[in-house]
Amino acid sequence: MRTRRDKMGRGVLSVVLCLIALTYLFPYIWMIGTSLKPDDELSNGKLFPEKITTVQYKSLLEGFDAGRIQLKYQYPRYYLNSGFVTLTSVGLVLACDALAAFAFAKFEFKGKQVLFWLMIITMMLPVYATLIPSFYLFSRVYHWVNRYEALILPGVVDAYGIFLLTQYMRTIPSELLDAARVDGAGPLRSFWKIIVPLSRPALGTLAIIKFLGVWNDYLWPLVMIRQEKMFTLPIGIGQMQVRQGMVVWGVQMAASVLATVPVVILVFIMQRQFLRGFTAGAFKG
Amino acid sequence: MAQTVGVSSPPTTRIMETAHEPTRTQRFFRGLTPYLLISPFFIGFILFQLFPILFSFFLSTQQWNPYKDGADAFEFVKLDHFNTLFHTARFWNSLRVTGIITLVCVTIGTALAVLLAVLIDAVPDWLSNILRAVFFMPSVTSVVVITFIWKQLLNRRYGLINDLLVSNHIMDAQNFLGDSKLALWSIIVMLIWAGLGWDALIITSSLRNIPEEYYEAARIDGASYIKQFRYITLPLLRPVLLFVVTTGCIFLIGLFAQVQLLTAGNPLHRTETVSLYLYDQAFGYQEFGYASAIAVTLTFIMFAVSFFNFKFLGNRGEV
Repeated sequence: MRTRRDKMGRGVLSVVLCLIALTYLFPYIWMIGTSLKPDDELSNGKLFPEKITTVQYKSLLEGFDAGRIQLKYQYPRYYLNSGFVTLTSVGLVLACDALAAFAFAKFEFKGKQVLFWLMIITMMLPVYATLIPSFYLFSRVYHWVNRYEALILPGVVDAYGIFLLTQYMRTIPSELLDAARVDGAGPLRSFWKIIVPLSRPALGTLAIIKFLGVWNDYLWPLVMIRQEKMFTLPIGIGQMQVRQGMVVWGVQMAASVLATVPVVILVFIMQRQFLRGFTAGAFKG
Repeated sequence: MAQTVGVSSPPTTRIMETAHEPTRTQRFFRGLTPYLLISPFFIGFILFQLFPILFSFFLSTQQWNPYKDGADAFEFVKLDHFNTLFHTARFWNSLRVTGIITLVCVTIGTALAVLLAVLIDAVPDWLSNILRAVFFMPSVTSVVVITFIWKQLLNRRYGLINDLLVSNHIMDAQNFLGDSKLALWSIIVMLIWAGLGWDALIITSSLRNIPEEYYEAARIDGASYIKQFRYITLPLLRPVLLFVVTTGCIFLIGLFAQVQLLTAGNPLHRTETVSLYLYDQAFGYQEFGYASAIAVTLTFIMFAVSFFNFKFLGNRGEV
């Protein structure tokens, strides 16, 4: 009796939650709907287009021509920029952080505590603490305005990643490393053959966090990038608004769909590892 | 005996080690190893983090003229920038806006996230996995995309939300982003919507670590669902809530992109956050010294809030 009532309660709850989820997704549904509308339906107040068209995507990729106003977006270029910057950043962060975390977790050396705490404190600093001096440094000293270096290098310094990886690597038994050393393996070899394979879950978590952070970053590229051919996706989509009024809604939404869909698909495909690894890393430390 | 790498080697390995006693050069390189390992990170750390932070403190006491070069560009003005800052109504207003957004979003957002996490945890696994991914979507969507969708939905004349309100005769069309009261609440609603999935996900992971036996024991004693939640779930969620609240506060106090894209601080600075004010002073007016003073103040506020959180939320959990 009791279990049957529990089951029914569960069923009702499932349905209710699904309805909530659908409502929650409303902005996404609207985005996709709008991106498939022709221009004259854009502000008709309906969620779905009456006739589905890809004209917005066409304008986005091939340019936009409304008599007096002609616009061409370098949208594929934004995509390439974002992709390149994100992948390079993630790769560099993983390499730097894993090496440093290895040292913090498995070596004793002078100044270890001081360096570690120095790192932790700066980890808590907001991006604004370094925004203006970094801008000065990058524009006046390094002359990196509109350069990939400016987008990639500052992000490589990620103390949070080191913290996460150090905590994880501490749980790897030191006996494994001792055994490897006895067999004549140097530190780099033990790192590559033992530490890296065993830290895979934590590395995966860090890669995902970093990927999302860089892919979606807005403030720093906004400060450093002025040329359209160097725009990342967030800046590029953001600038579409500035240049035009209402007319480009459709194009903007098409751009948004194309920028969002791959990431969302990735989340759904990797759902299991993604969500589990993500939370394990965030909390087990 | 030479201090060897690795802290606790069992006796057997130690015997093996004495068999190949390392030479002096080998020992030197072994001592150097950890420094070499951390050097790629620390070079970047010094260049892009430590130096800028120190420079930030320096800048906050300077009048920087961006049109001059080298040392000529700087003029020492003591703490004048801070003095001006604390006597500027626009700064206090931005602090108030930031405070309201942070307080409301953190309390309501965290409460909703706990509720959502508990509900999601109660449905079958396959469904709860899908739901978690669905609610997580805003966390992987670009801030720019999210904000523009909301901006169009909230549009005074063409927005779908106004269409729904009017066509269902609920109320007249509202000027969501132009009205001084509504604009702030529009931002808050959007932020809670966007942050819900992230918080809920982290809370769910912690929920799953609570042993089922606790609930069974409570059920045998006849405790209701609400009592179980109050006396088992909530106390055990304390550490994770501390994490969610602290990270949430840090994020919201530094809130920038969402507000800049949705309202740009309008109408009349009524939605201007501290970081928006900072950005405007630095990159709008080129007042880099003054903006650095804002940055330093903002940094201290964040530290103070984090400290406060740990003090009042963290004392009973082992964080």
